[in-house]
Amino acid sequence: MVSKKQRRINWILVAVLLVLSIFFLFPVIWMLANSFKPDAAITADMNSIAAFIPPALDGNFFDNYIEIITNTSFLRYMGNTLLYAAILIVLGIIVNGLAGYALAKIDFPFREQWLLIIMMLLIVPTETVITIHFLIIAKAGLLNTILGYILPSIVNPFNIFLFRQVFVSLPDDVYEAAQLDFCGPVKYFFTMVIPMSKTVVATVSVFTFLNVWNDYLWPALVFTSSDMLTAQIGLNSITSNENTTMGQTLAVITLVTIPVIIIYSLFSKQIVEGVTSTGSKEG
Amino acid sequence: MSFIEFKNVCKRYPGSDKDTVENLNLNIEEKEFIAFVGPSGCGKSTTLRMIAGFEEITGGELFIDGKKMNEVAPRDRGIAMVFQNYALYPHMTVEKNIGYGLKNMKMPADEIRKKVDWAIEMLGLEEYRYRKPKNLSGGQRQRVALGRAIVKNQKLFLMDEPLSNLDAKLRVSMRTEISKIHRELGATTIYVTHDQVEAMTMADRIVIMKEGVIQQVGKPMELYDHPVNQFVAGFIGSPQMNFFDVTVEDGTATFADGNSITLSDGTLKKLNGRRGEMILGIRGEDIKMDAQNMEINGENRLHAVITDTEVMGNENNLYFTFGGAQAVARVSKYEISQIGDRIDFVFMPSKMHFFDRETGVNYMEMQ
Repeated sequence: MVSKKQRRINWILVAVLLVLSIFFLFPVIWMLANSFKPDAAITADMNSIAAFIPPALDGNFFDNYIEIITNTSFLRYMGNTLLYAAILIVLGIIVNGLAGYALAKIDFPFREQWLLIIMMLLIVPTETVITIHFLIIAKAGLLNTILGYILPSIVNPFNIFLFRQVFVSLPDDVYEAAQLDFCGPVKYFFTMVIPMSKTVVATVSVFTFLNVWNDYLWPALVFTSSDMLTAQIGLNSITSNENTTMGQTLAVITLVTIPVIIIYSLFSKQIVEGVTSTGSKEG
Repeated sequence: MSFIEFKNVCKRYPGSDKDTVENLNLNIEEKEFIAFVGPSGCGKSTTLRMIAGFEEITGGELFIDGKKMNEVAPRDRGIAMVFQNYALYPHMTVEKNIGYGLKNMKMPADEIRKKVDWAIEMLGLEEYRYRKPKNLSGGQRQRVALGRAIVKNQKLFLMDEPLSNLDAKLRVSMRTEISKIHRELGATTIYVTHDQVEAMTMADRIVIMKEGVIQQVGKPMELYDHPVNQFVAGFIGSPQMNFFDVTVEDGTATFADGNSITLSDGTLKKLNGRRGEMILGIRGEDIKMDAQNMEINGENRLHAVITDTEVMGNENNLYFTFGGAQAVARVSKYEISQIGDRIDFVFMPSKMHFFDRETGVNYMEMQ
């Protein structure tokens, strides 16, 4: 039973969180409302509450979006990013998952030390190694290729750690039972370990997607051909074009935000679990 | 040649200076139901896991069906195993759990279906067929684990404390079920348990282990009636056998409290002239209070005061202090006594065991 005092505290908390949410939502609402307006209307509404209200639904309502979709390659950039993310999610689960499994379940010399080294990599900022990555990829002749883009991002120490934390709590007797059911180690990993660890697989997928979607520096270095650009670079090139109106800029920002909002709302549980992961047993 | 042969099998874990299983020599015949019992850490599960191939054999040789198994992978040993914690595949339904091994054996789908149907029917799992393990009770999960083991038609079943997670009532019914499956399939079964009742009720032969060493191998009643040492005598039987410190001199056994009994000719013959300090062991049901036995063994009549009683329904356990030790007598439900009552009793002469105080060896069973 919740006490009266506790209930009052809860109400106050809800009120504070509500105010904070509105505070953080204001720029998003402003962006969304103005992405449907011509520049003249945006300027006119700037100093009034109308800045947060979308225009009337008429024939010109989607003009900014139609302009972006028909006259720029932005949809293609979004498609590219989705493709890169999909490839990286699949490869990342296989490579980091196998590494995490080895660290959790296979007994090999210096296992704990390996884990420590991998965890130490977590503190190395991407920017410090990006030059080396670039030089290697350039020397290998992989600039402007999907392989060149994904190769340095497949192995992710954080994901290895995440997998390891979850796999360590998987019962050993299930593996033994599977062995007696004629299931080899590789098959066991894909048909047992991965399905038994759906939550961490979802968490890693979400993080990988968000990393790829928000990544700017690495794709900007690797891709020079406009056919291969990602959404973030596309966003930059479209918004920095002097012919792009403010309404169109807001429309393209809205477009680039939509997948992130969808992912956050669908997988908020996994994201929270990923951030707070302590290796608790999978349900 | 026996179906399973252990030849000086040893197991020592890295970093340990002592064998967990020491020089194990044992033959197990085909279709036999054999139970390994012993207290925690006695090496029974390690032995089972060595048979399965999950633990490396660090010394000696293990043969299954004439083939040396030391280096053979678990999947190639022709075994099926039931685990203590069921080890079901949590993301698969009951039927998929049971059929998974068959699928990996590349058996045709219709044959898999037939076998899975047979197992599901045999174990009464029809209504749970499409459920996942998390939606099953402990007993149902254990049935699925059994189903998974029996469909593969292996010649050897290994069971690692399969009933220890179930409640008492379910344990009794599953005991019957496992015995029935064994009779119907005729597969050699090795069953590990710490519960001597399970071993006594199910096994053809029992192997009792202590600290990695086999203490005795035999049929349940052999172990019960003819324990080779005090450990076996104390481990088998509930309530436990009564033990008293005695001094044997001139055909008499004298208890710590000064009471004494005259030993029979049969007992003295088996003692073979041994005398001095020993441990006398006698089971609760061999402490008699009825008129007939009192009459026959009149000169050895003893008495004590009841300190506690246990009403079991079919019989009563009477606790008393005698000979400097706590003792229990099992009497019929009609022999009602109260705490504080004085009882007269005799020890059945042919049922007394005399153990060496140092080694625990039973002089009555020595050749």
